[in-house]
Amino acid sequence: MLEGGNMKKTLAFLLTLVFFITALSGCGQQMPSPANPVTLTMWHVYGSQTKSPLNDVIDTFNHSVGREYGITVNVVSVTSSSAIDRALAASANGEPGADAMPDLFTAYPRVAEIVGQENLLSWNDYFTKKELSGFHADFLSEGYFGEKLLMLPVAKSTEAFYLNKTLFDRFSAASGISVADLSTFEGVFDAARTYCDWSGGQSFLQINDYFHYAYVGMKAHGSEFIRSGRLRIEDEAFRTVWMPLAKAAIYGGICLDEGYAAARWKTAEVIANTGSSADVLYQPTEVIYPDNTTEAIQAAALPYPMFTESAPGVIYRGGGLFAMKSDNERRNQAAYIFARWLTEKENNLEFVQNAGYLPVTDEALSALFANISRIEKENYRSVYTSVDTMLDSYTFYALPLYDGASEMQLDFEKNVNSVLKSAHNQYKKLISEGKSPEKILDTLAESSLAELKSLYEK
Amino acid sequence: MKAFFRVSLPHLISQIKSEGISIRRRFVVYIISAIALVLSLILLLLNIFGILNPTGTQIMDVLDTQLLSYANNIERDYDKAAAHAISFSNQLENGIQKYLTEHNLSFENLRNHADSLSALQRELYSIVYLNMQLAPSSGAFYMLDTTVNSRSEMPSYNGIYLKYINLYSESTVNNEITLYRGSFSTAKEGNVTFHSGWNNEMRTNFFDACDSAFANGKHYILSPTVEIPDTWERARYVYVPIRDQRDRIIGVCGFEINDMFFQLSKKTNDDRLGTLIGALIDENQGIFSCQFNSGRYNTIAPENINITEKDGNAVFDFGIETCIGKTKSVILGDRTFTVALMITEAQFNALVQRGQIKTAGIIFAVMLIMFAYCLFMSRKYVAPILRKIEQIKYSENTGDQLKIREFDDLFAFIEKKSSVLEEQLASLKAAKQAAEEEAARARENYEKALEEYELAKNEVLHLSDESKNEIILEDYEYFICNLKTLTPQEMRIYEMYVEGKTTAEIASIIGIKENTMKYHNKNIYSKLGVSSRKQFLRFAALKQYRDGKGEQTE
Repeated sequence: MLEGGNMKKTLAFLLTLVFFITALSGCGQQMPSPANPVTLTMWHVYGSQTKSPLNDVIDTFNHSVGREYGITVNVVSVTSSSAIDRALAASANGEPGADAMPDLFTAYPRVAEIVGQENLLSWNDYFTKKELSGFHADFLSEGYFGEKLLMLPVAKSTEAFYLNKTLFDRFSAASGISVADLSTFEGVFDAARTYCDWSGGQSFLQINDYFHYAYVGMKAHGSEFIRSGRLRIEDEAFRTVWMPLAKAAIYGGICLDEGYAAARWKTAEVIANTGSSADVLYQPTEVIYPDNTTEAIQAAALPYPMFTESAPGVIYRGGGLFAMKSDNERRNQAAYIFARWLTEKENNLEFVQNAGYLPVTDEALSALFANISRIEKENYRSVYTSVDTMLDSYTFYALPLYDGASEMQLDFEKNVNSVLKSAHNQYKKLISEGKSPEKILDTLAESSLAELKSLYEK
Repeated sequence: MKAFFRVSLPHLISQIKSEGISIRRRFVVYIISAIALVLSLILLLLNIFGILNPTGTQIMDVLDTQLLSYANNIERDYDKAAAHAISFSNQLENGIQKYLTEHNLSFENLRNHADSLSALQRELYSIVYLNMQLAPSSGAFYMLDTTVNSRSEMPSYNGIYLKYINLYSESTVNNEITLYRGSFSTAKEGNVTFHSGWNNEMRTNFFDACDSAFANGKHYILSPTVEIPDTWERARYVYVPIRDQRDRIIGVCGFEINDMFFQLSKKTNDDRLGTLIGALIDENQGIFSCQFNSGRYNTIAPENINITEKDGNAVFDFGIETCIGKTKSVILGDRTFTVALMITEAQFNALVQRGQIKTAGIIFAVMLIMFAYCLFMSRKYVAPILRKIEQIKYSENTGDQLKIREFDDLFAFIEKKSSVLEEQLASLKAAKQAAEEEAARARENYEKALEEYELAKNEVLHLSDESKNEIILEDYEYFICNLKTLTPQEMRIYEMYVEGKTTAEIASIIGIKENTMKYHNKNIYSKLGVSSRKQFLRFAALKQYRDGKGEQTE
C-alpha cells in the first residue's frame, strides 16, 4: 500500500483535480451553449405589419449562430417607438397586465431613464475596442451615457420625401407642377394648395414629424429650435418656418388627421409625405377605392425638401439596441453574441437594405452606397439614391438628448396638429361664409402661431 | 505517486503470496469493501424506488408531466375561444337580422351595395370589437357571403377583421386595434387605424378553412396554420358559421390566434429544463401544420417538419435541428390535434451527459471520501500499531499505550516474553564468549606446539644433513634390518622417540618406571646396533626422511 507521504500527495492531487474540474465546469456555464440554452425575448420597432426584415434576419441568426450557441431570440415586433416606450414603462413599473421586461429591445435613448440606466447592459463591457472602432463614430456616440454604451446602434434612418408618382403625374399634367418643384418646402406647400384645389379638397401630403421640420427649418435659418431643454417658439426663425406650413395646412393641403401616411396612400387620401427612410417598408403598391377596385402605383423617394436659399439639412435618427442586464452572465453573453452578429457587415446590410435603414459600420455604409444599383426593389433603390444625394450636400442632425425630450416631442406634434386643425376648421367655416381666402389664411396663420406660443408660455 | 502507479496487479499478487498481506492493506481493503457494499445497497434501493433514474428517463418524465397541464391549458383556451366564437356568432346573427329588418332588406339585397354594407359594418363594429377584447385571441372577424362589387375579378367576402397592433403580451387589454379588413368608413367612424395590409374585403380563396366553413357549417372549426395575406404573420382560426333566420349559412366569424399570440400565451418553463418548446400540431396528408411557442420554429416550412417515434418518445426533425419530446392527442373542433412538448436533441444529449458526469462525480467524490477515510483510519488506527511493532522490534519501548485493550495486552505479553529471551540470550552470549576464549587459548597452544615441532623437525633435518656423510652405511643397514626385531613395546617406544617425545614423557605415557625405560632403551640400542641416543635419533630421523622421500617418489 502507499506510504503515508504518497497517500497525502495522492489525496492532494485528487482534491486539486476536483477543484479544477469544478472551476472549469463553472467557467463553461458563463457562456451559452446548446447544453445551457438561452432564450432572449426581444421587442423591436424595425418592421411593419406587412413585413419585418429584422425578424427574417433574427430567424437566420436563430438557425445559425444562435443554434450553435443555444441562443433563441424570440421576437415581438412593436410597430412604433412610442408604443414600445409605453410598453416598456408598463413593464418597468409592473403595471397589471404588462408582460415581463424583454431581454432585448430597440428604442430611443430616452428609454434609458424609463428603464433605469443601472438596469441596462453596458455594451462596451462586452464589445472589444477594435469591434467598436468599426462603428460609424456619430452613430456610436449617441449611445453613450457617460462612460457606458447602453444603446448599440443597429440601424439608422434619415428622412425623405415620398411621392405617389402615379397620381402625382396626373396632377402634374394638369397643374404644371413638376417633381423638381418639390425640392423645397416652399414648392411643396404651393403644390399642396394647388393639389387641394385640383382634387376638390383632398390633402396633398402628410408631414409625419413637425418637430423634425421645425428643428431642421430653424437650423437652416441659422437658429436653434431647442435651447436649454425648451422649445423656442418665440424665435423669429420659428415664425419663418411656421407660416408657409400653417398656410398650406389651414388651406387643406396638409392632412392633419392622426395615423400613418402609408394608410392614407392606400386610400389616396394623400399622395405625398415626409417621413423616415424606413417608411419605404410601409409603402403600399396599390390604391384601393371604395368600390373595391384597385390601382397599382409607383412610388418615388426624393431628398428631404430644403428651405429656399438656405443650407439643406436633415435629421438622422433611429434608436438602438438595449439589453437588460442580467444576474445570469450567460444571458448577457447571449445578448452580446446576438448584437455582435447583427452588426456584422453582411448581416447588418441584409437587415437594413430590406428596411430602408442605414447600416451602422463604416465598412457597411461604404458597401451600401457603392452598390445602390444592385438593390432589387425600385422603391428601395429610390430611397438609397436620395440618401446618397443628401450625403453629398446636406447637413445631418441628430436630435439632442435631454430630460423630457420624448414627451416634449410628442406634445409638440399634438399641439401643432390641434392648432392647425382648429385653424383649418375656422378657415372652412369662414370660406363657407364667403370670406377672402388669402386674407383669412394670413390671419389664421398668425393666430395659430399665437395660439401655439400661448401653449408654451404656460 | 509514481510508486503507486508502478504497483502492478501480478506483482501485488506475487507479493501477497510470498509475504502475506500487511495489516494496513488488509484494513483498507476491508473498509473499502464495506463502504462499497453499503453504497451499492443504497444505489440499488434508490433505483428500485425510481429515485435514481437515468437522466434521459427523468427528462422524459418531466416532459410527460408538463405535457398534461400544457395540453389541458391548450384545450381549455381553444374551448374558451370556441365558446366566445359561438356567442359572437349569435350576436352577429341578431345584429344582422336587426339591421336587415330595420332597413327592410334581405341578405341578398346587400350584394353590390357598398353603402348598406358599410352601414352594416358600422352596426356590427362594436360586437366585433367587444368579442375581440373578451376572447383569448390576436384578432376577430366576421365575413359575410356578399361583396360590394360582385363584378370584381377577385371574388371576396365582406366584413370586418380587426387585429391588435403591438402584440407584446398575453394580455391584450392595452393594445391598440387596427382594421385589417373593412370599409374605409368603418375605420373612420371607429377611429381605428388601417393595417399596413388593409383591404376592403377578404378574398374568397385566401383561406381554405374559411371557405370550407361556409360549405360544411360545422359547429366550430380550428383551422390549420395559414399565412395571413399581406402580413408576415401565420395564424390558426377559430371559425363558427353565421346563419340567417332560415338556418342558411351566410357567413363565418371567429378569432385569429396568430403565432405571436400563441407564443406569448403558451410559454412554458421547467425549473430544470428551462424554456420548453411547445407546439400544437395537426397533420394533413403527411404535412404537419404546427404552431410553436418559440419564434425559432414558427418560420420552419411545414414540408421540412417530420415527426417520428423512437423508444416511446417523439422525435421532431425540423431540418435545421432535431428535438425530442412527448406528445398528447387532443380534440379541438372537429379534428384531432397533437400537443407536443420538447427540447432540442442537443440539449437532451447535453443534459444526459451532464447527468452521467454528475453520477460519475458523485461516485468519484464517494471514492475520494472513502480514500480519505481510509487514510484517516490508517493514520489513527493502523499507524500506531505499526509504530508500536517497530518500537518492539527495535526494543525502543516508550511505554506508550494504544488504548486498544487487546493490542495493549498483546504487546505487554510480547514485551515480557522478549525480556526473558533477552536474558537467555545474554547468558548464551557469555558462554559463547568463554568458549571462544578457551578456543583461542587452545589455538595458541596448538600453534606453539606446532612451532616447537617445526623447530625440532628442522633441527633433526639439520642434524641429518650434517651427519649424512658421517653415517656408516653398514650400521644404518643393520639398524633398518633389525627394527623388525623390536618387541611391540620397544617399537612403541621407538615411535615415540621418533615423534620427539622425551624419555620421561614416554615413560609417563606408557606408564613404566625410569629403570624399566632404561631397560627398554638398552634392548633397543642393542638390537639396532647403536651406541648412543644421538646415533639412535640420527638413524631414526634418516629413516623417517627416507621413508618420506620414498613416499614422495612413489
